[in-house]
Amino acid sequence: MASVSEMYDVTWEEMRDKLRKWREDNHRNSEQIVDVGEELINEHASKLGDDIWIIYEQVMIAALDCSRDDLAWTCLQELKRQFPGSQRVKRLAGMRLEALEKYEDANKQYDSILQDDPTNTAARKRKISILKAQGKSAEAIRELNEYLEQFVGDQEAWHELSELYINEHDYGKAAFCLEELMMTNPHNHLYCEQYAEVKYTQGGLENLELSRKYFAQALKLNNRNMRALFGLYMSASHIAASPKVNATVKKANVKYATWATNQINRAYQLAGRGTKENKCSVKAVEEMLESITMS
Amino acid sequence: LSYFCLFHSGAYCKMLLHAAKYPHCAVNGLLVAEKQKEKKKDSHSTPILCVDCIPLFHGTLALAPMLEVALTLIDTWCKENKYVIAGYYQANERTKDFRPNQFAEKVGARIAENFSEAAMIMVDSTRFTMGCYEPILTIYDHHENKWKCRDCNADCFEDWCEAQKITSALLEGRSYESLIDFDNHLDDLRNDWTNPEINKSVLHLC
Repeated sequence: MASVSEMYDVTWEEMRDKLRKWREDNHRNSEQIVDVGEELINEHASKLGDDIWIIYEQVMIAALDCSRDDLAWTCLQELKRQFPGSQRVKRLAGMRLEALEKYEDANKQYDSILQDDPTNTAARKRKISILKAQGKSAEAIRELNEYLEQFVGDQEAWHELSELYINEHDYGKAAFCLEELMMTNPHNHLYCEQYAEVKYTQGGLENLELSRKYFAQALKLNNRNMRALFGLYMSASHIAASPKVNATVKKANVKYATWATNQINRAYQLAGRGTKENKCSVKAVEEMLESITMS
Repeated sequence: LSYFCLFHSGAYCKMLLHAAKYPHCAVNGLLVAEKQKEKKKDSHSTPILCVDCIPLFHGTLALAPMLEVALTLIDTWCKENKYVIAGYYQANERTKDFRPNQFAEKVGARIAENFSEAAMIMVDSTRFTMGCYEPILTIYDHHENKWKCRDCNADCFEDWCEAQKITSALLEGRSYESLIDFDNHLDDLRNDWTNPEINKSVLHLC
């Protein structure tokens, strides 16, 4: 099989830079990381300098995702040799045990880290991941809540908790987690948009109006967020169609929905797609709008 | 009274490609069937052919707004193509978790409102292999507001050998890297959720 550098005509520097980009963006494209990383390690280790250690870590985790225990083991040994007694490497060893579904051994590993360093957040989070992997959602939620009492600024944890609550259909608590995230990240359009989606899912007129406001806010922060645009359209349409609203509110929401439709049409046109599928999407949106204004 | 749905190779293969693209996430999507011209008296003896699959979302599935958008847009697309939304598939986040959850049942019920023979399909990831030696779906039919499980074997396919060959080939060739779901479409409208390239590959291998 041809090497990555041959297939894509890239230099080892480009491969190294690609790995860095994927690291920075926290991409979970494990198969590609394994392909590129393995070749880099095997062919160009000497050129990588100190970068090699973080690459070993990145490749190891990707290898676990792809059931490449051989590769994961190799990376782990290199890291153990270079950083004996490191907590960070210990955690990687724990992750390997998790991948092999040896959860008891993995937990022991993390407990030993926490004995030496009770504030080690990585080990605590891995323990919660084990609960998730075992399907123990209620326990995972409980442990994560406890964790957040101590580490209240951990955004990744708040977001993870919101997802756990959504999967349990506990939308109220999911909304609370997203509120925390929005407070500390007021310019993040994704949190606004996700909060709006949760509110919409909760249902009821009040939640719909709230969701519309937050979809609108997300759009203000990023006018290319299509989910926010569609969400604005859907929430405004539902409010306008509700028998519980008075004529003024209905009129305002029809206006919002119409604006959203036009923006959606524009967005599809900008995407340059005069294809059949594009016309259907636009048509569907138009049809939906017609149905509200008639009622 | 037994409903019977047959899978076209392309529909089966896209479901598996979707699951393969996001092995660490839950994924879901819709199945579409050709609209039958008239409802004959003994129409339940005519199998419903699931001709295509529209992959929808990956990750957090249980939120309403984007699902509603997808259902509406795809419904319109179906009308244009004389299709009808005939089923819903889901693969859970955890490999060992292959039972339908509340969310799957809700979506399935919603589809069944418009199409009484709708099927809910769960993908069993524990049996997922590159060689595709056996069908890895469990089919649920809607009977009197309950979902009843039905085994999925080679008889559920228009041509199981063909489905196996095509799916295995596309998995080996990593075609799942270019599979587009509705989430990808929302990220960039130029991404086409009808997956014309993969459809071409499927036809090529038929």
